[in-house]
Amino acid sequence: MITAERKPLEELLGYIAPYGRILLLGCNECVTVCAAGGRKEVGLLASALKMAARKSGKDVEIVEHTLERQCDPEYVEEVAGLVGQADAVVSMACGCGVQQMAMRYAKPVFPALNTRFMGGSERQGVWDERCAGCGNCLLGVTGGICPIARCAKRLMNGPCGGSANGVCEITPDVPCAWHLIWERLEALGQTQQYMEIIPAKDWKTAQGGGPRKIIREDLAE
Amino acid sequence: MQNKTKLQSNGTVLVVGGGLGGIRAALDLAEARKDVILVDKAPCIGGLMAQLDRTFPTNNCDLCTVAPFTAKEGRGGHLDMRGLTTVTAVSGKEGNFTASLMTAPRFINVEKCTACGECLRQFPQCVSFAPGLDPRAPTCMRYPKATPYAYVIDMAKCGDKEALRKCCPVGAIEPDALPKAEQVQCGSIIMAAGADLFDPSHLDYFGYAAQPDVVTSLEYERMLSASGPTGGKLLRPSNGQPPKRVAWIQCVGSRGLQKGAASYCSSACCMFALKEAIVTRERFDQGIETTIFYMDMRTFGKDYEKYLTRAKEQYGVRLVHARPHDVLRPEGVDKLQVIYTLDEAPKHITEEFDMVVLSTGFKMNADVKKLAEDLGVELYADGFPKTDCFNAVATSVPGVYVCGTIQGGKDIPETMTQASAASCLAGGKVAITPRPRAEAPAIMPETVEAPKVGVLVTMCGQDTSVIDSKALVEYAEKIPHVVCAAVFDTSCGCAVTLESLKSTLMAKGCNRVVIAGSSPRYELGKYQALLGQMGINKYLIEVANIREQVAWVHGDQPQEANAKARQMLAVALANVIAAKPLADHVVATNKNALVVGGGVTGMTAALELADQGAQVYLVEKSTELGGVARNLVKTIEGGDVRALLAGLAEKTTKHPNIKVFTKTQVVDHSGQAGLFRTGLSVDGAYKEIEHGAAILATGATPNQPKAFLLGENSRVCNQLDLQKVVSERLQEVKKWNNVVMIQCVGSRDADNPNCSRLCCQSSIKNALAILKENPNVRIFVLYRDLRTYGRFEEYYQKARDLGVIFVRYKTDNPPQVEAAGNFVNVTYTDAIMGRQVVVSADCVGLSTGFVASRESNQALAKVFGLPLTEDGYFAEMHVKLRPVDMDKAGFFVAGTAHSPKVIFENLTQARAAASRALTVLANDTLVREANFAHVDRNRCAACLICVRVCPFDVPRITVDDQGLGCSCTDDKGLGRSYIDPAKCHGCGTCAAECPAKAIQLNQFEDAQILASLDQLLAKVNV
Amino acid sequence: MEQFEPVIVAFCCHYCAYTAADTAGSQRLSYPAGVKIVRVPCTGKVDAKHLLTAFEKGADGVLVAGCLVGDCHFKDGNVKAARRVEFTKKYLQEIGIEAERLEMAGMSAGQGKEFAETATAITEKIRALGPSPVKGKNSCCGKAA
Repeated sequence: MITAERKPLEELLGYIAPYGRILLLGCNECVTVCAAGGRKEVGLLASALKMAARKSGKDVEIVEHTLERQCDPEYVEEVAGLVGQADAVVSMACGCGVQQMAMRYAKPVFPALNTRFMGGSERQGVWDERCAGCGNCLLGVTGGICPIARCAKRLMNGPCGGSANGVCEITPDVPCAWHLIWERLEALGQTQQYMEIIPAKDWKTAQGGGPRKIIREDLAE
Repeated sequence: MQNKTKLQSNGTVLVVGGGLGGIRAALDLAEARKDVILVDKAPCIGGLMAQLDRTFPTNNCDLCTVAPFTAKEGRGGHLDMRGLTTVTAVSGKEGNFTASLMTAPRFINVEKCTACGECLRQFPQCVSFAPGLDPRAPTCMRYPKATPYAYVIDMAKCGDKEALRKCCPVGAIEPDALPKAEQVQCGSIIMAAGADLFDPSHLDYFGYAAQPDVVTSLEYERMLSASGPTGGKLLRPSNGQPPKRVAWIQCVGSRGLQKGAASYCSSACCMFALKEAIVTRERFDQGIETTIFYMDMRTFGKDYEKYLTRAKEQYGVRLVHARPHDVLRPEGVDKLQVIYTLDEAPKHITEEFDMVVLSTGFKMNADVKKLAEDLGVELYADGFPKTDCFNAVATSVPGVYVCGTIQGGKDIPETMTQASAASCLAGGKVAITPRPRAEAPAIMPETVEAPKVGVLVTMCGQDTSVIDSKALVEYAEKIPHVVCAAVFDTSCGCAVTLESLKSTLMAKGCNRVVIAGSSPRYELGKYQALLGQMGINKYLIEVANIREQVAWVHGDQPQEANAKARQMLAVALANVIAAKPLADHVVATNKNALVVGGGVTGMTAALELADQGAQVYLVEKSTELGGVARNLVKTIEGGDVRALLAGLAEKTTKHPNIKVFTKTQVVDHSGQAGLFRTGLSVDGAYKEIEHGAAILATGATPNQPKAFLLGENSRVCNQLDLQKVVSERLQEVKKWNNVVMIQCVGSRDADNPNCSRLCCQSSIKNALAILKENPNVRIFVLYRDLRTYGRFEEYYQKARDLGVIFVRYKTDNPPQVEAAGNFVNVTYTDAIMGRQVVVSADCVGLSTGFVASRESNQALAKVFGLPLTEDGYFAEMHVKLRPVDMDKAGFFVAGTAHSPKVIFENLTQARAAASRALTVLANDTLVREANFAHVDRNRCAACLICVRVCPFDVPRITVDDQGLGCSCTDDKGLGRSYIDPAKCHGCGTCAAECPAKAIQLNQFEDAQILASLDQLLAKVNV
Repeated sequence: MEQFEPVIVAFCCHYCAYTAADTAGSQRLSYPAGVKIVRVPCTGKVDAKHLLTAFEKGADGVLVAGCLVGDCHFKDGNVKAARRVEFTKKYLQEIGIEAERLEMAGMSAGQGKEFAETATAITEKIRALGPSPVKGKNSCCGKAA
């Protein structure tokens, strides 16, 4: 899932300052699950924006709506009417959703969230990064633990010299990914895998090659 | 000539007396699906309590609290109530009694009577009941909410029968009606016929017969009552002026003080007087001086000591320790003179009062005594039935039980407890009668119509007089969707009023209802039943709490109170308009019971349940059964506690329906009434049991405060240890010269503000036991108030007669205890001699009482989700009316886990709790309220947050359509959250956390909460 | 100027605080009439949205009153509510509303006195803070003021 966090209210107030009618648009997918931009958060932000605006002596009208998925044009199309009545749109989707809206509508679209990473849920209320979207997955040889997303230095062949007691030297509350990989391979009885040298990574499949695209010939129209 | 009907069916319990105790006993039986006939000689049920204005310690209006019980609907046909009926003869024996009943004519056809009051208007002398203050008139409606609802005519006082017949617009008056005799068979009988109050007319020195301003406490109560002779105005009977100074004189007719007085203490009068004094100041005039002349302030009930403190400190009730010997009114003087003497100053003091209230005690009623004699029940000389020393509700005749004041003076909680206990024993003798179920699930309308709201403002007279109910109605009428609004004065809900509410609402075609009155915690269920009868879904109702949360807290600010009442009404209206019809959930009942605590209380409760067919799990944390009673030898009456304990333990361990788990603790718990699951740690091993009800009988802890050398000097011990010494070390006891007992050690102080109740009788018990072995010993009992309530008073008198020296001490001058060689010197101040006295004691017995087992209670309360009192005892649902029920349905409390008390009282509570538990276990199914959360599957993002936050692990993301018991076979249902209504506890945490706003909690939907906020803040920001 | 009478919305859980409020009534313990009670089954039901909305609609203060910690009828609804109250306080600070206008309290059903005292204390606290900064500043009132 794509994780995100709400931007500071002050920044959002700056965006919407010139506008009187705002469409505050949530998304019922990833950002709902990570409690950043679902119906509930839309409601909270709407209240907060209204109060903050009122405090500065200004009245702002906010229309709340939450789409099934803001990164699909068909869903985005559903809000044409609402966008038409609004002066600006504040999107509570991830960056994909914001752009989908911006591409479709001529109105100003502002992000309410900072999109953070692709991650998983550790437990209620805690998410951590699991995938960097490098385009060439190594998990098959690293015991199911990604050294790209979870090692601060993206090392491909074992930990750096700073790894101590299983903890990353850069962020001490993060476990060393290579330590985890070793433990996991040990548990699986596949420590020989660790001895295999992983060649230098070709970053072309990652963002290094510019914006990426997937085309499924059989599906694409 | 009389109508004769043939014999009725067997398998029935006959309850004689329709006061509070009789009603409770009958309802318990009916709820446990036993057939019961309730007879009362009065035209309507309610008894003494229905005449009280308010009851301690909550100071509620009694009409409101008794009314729900007397409503006749919804008892599944198990309850047959008959007013104006007396029992003329009884024959047969346990299991097969035959009772002859005689029903006097009411002269009014109840079916036809609409209670229009026309007969009352045409006979203007007709008034409501007010004993001794007003003449009875031919048409007497006893109190405004009499059940069954009909006027009754005293035909002997009617001069023109034809005129009376004709005055009725519906022809309901039948002057020629005849009495009806019939015989009923019953398996057991509960006598709940109450008691009379002492008549002080012959005590000329109190001036009751001669002075109109001298009244009894019940007459004063009626004067305080909104439905009383003065319409709720407190006025001196002599001149109609409000009194400025009112005095109460305690123990009139009790404690053997006056001619004809009983030897026992009537137990309830101290609290009664305190309540009247508080109510006088609180409701009528803060300036009225209230003085209570007392001998011992006997506030021994649960939390009653705090009530006494409140009376003194918050309400300024003056307490004078004195026995006035004269109440005079000299010629030409407008006031009454009370003459008395104080302990420390032996001279006459004359004080003037405007009114004097005599706190008259209970005494046996002659008719009831005759019936008891006819039944062959053994009686005390004073006419009260003798009961077993371990079973206060069992008479000497098997199958005949007693409860309430017929067993001796007592207050309402004790009466309710005895009533349930009697119903447990009496019900054990008769089988369940299968009948269709009583409580119907909510009616689901086919279509939801536009809201048509009926608004009812139900006020309790003076109780809520700060609210202008008429203005409130006018306000309601202007609100959209309101089709009718009305005030129902001095009423909030007996069958009567409910009937008229129903017709009013139905006439206007209401489909939703708002009640403005007392807290929904008390009244909601009753009004929901009413909606059910009207064919309306029972969740289309809202209650505006304008009594507890407006009138009673903002009484001093009429403007704010009225504005707030309007606002609360608007909130309720907004809520009811936003409400949706909801369906109840019906679950099958598990018929097992869990009893926690293996003391005498727990074992008794377990045995009663097991004898009536329930499978009982008895859980005890220690290695053996018996609890604190293992330290006891005998009761004050001479009952052998060790034999009792041995008998109970043997029966319990051998009973085929009881499984005993020792060394066992409760570790987890889930479910709801009828279907609980509890995890036990049985000697370290986990075991899960299923049960439908639970009884907590975990006891209390003997207090061991650090005071008076306790634990430091071997000659100082508590009363429990003293009892052991007396029974086991006789040679030592025989050598004693002086024994001192000190009362209230570690009770009634800052650390433990409550009275431990049992210490006064236990010190007297020990004093009598010591004297028996060593008649020459001098025993000093240093006390604050000697609380030998009920028949314990007779033992107190006996101890005095035998020479025990009772000395009152004050908390600002407590006794001093110091070691002096082989003895212990106790120094106290004698008020009469006015100097200090030193006693060289061989033994000092401290009455240390009990404290709550705070830590273990807290642990259990946490696992079960139950409330505790401030002192750490388990809190019952309602101190007056539900003394053994707990806030969580299906849970009951008994014994010292509730509050300290003596052994027979614990056993009575055990039986009462068993009776209440049977009301759950006897039903095959239970209707679960629609207070569960539900998921909008179109919105659900299957994020798992609800699954993770639910404290009871209820929500699931559906993976297939198999075995989930839900109709989520459509595509949208799969892979979405599902909350099982049978398991959901209705806390709403999932609804609050759901990021997709896909979950709503029934009755508390966001739309309703936001509508409430809209109304609450409507005028604030506009 | 008329004396400022704070309006406080009190979300009270059915089992403890609401019952405590009833108890306060039966003990005739008065507290300021500006404290308005909204009954909820458990404070765990109180959504951050309800708290913000109360301020948005003009409350000067909001009280979330539940059971004492460990006493929750639903295990830990009060603990969850306390976390939500902290979360909402941060939101309030961002908006520019003093965080102390929002308060969580715990009491048992029998503590009528505590309820009355808590209600009085929060009212006095808010009185000292003055009216909510987001109240009376919208267009219709703002012009009048």
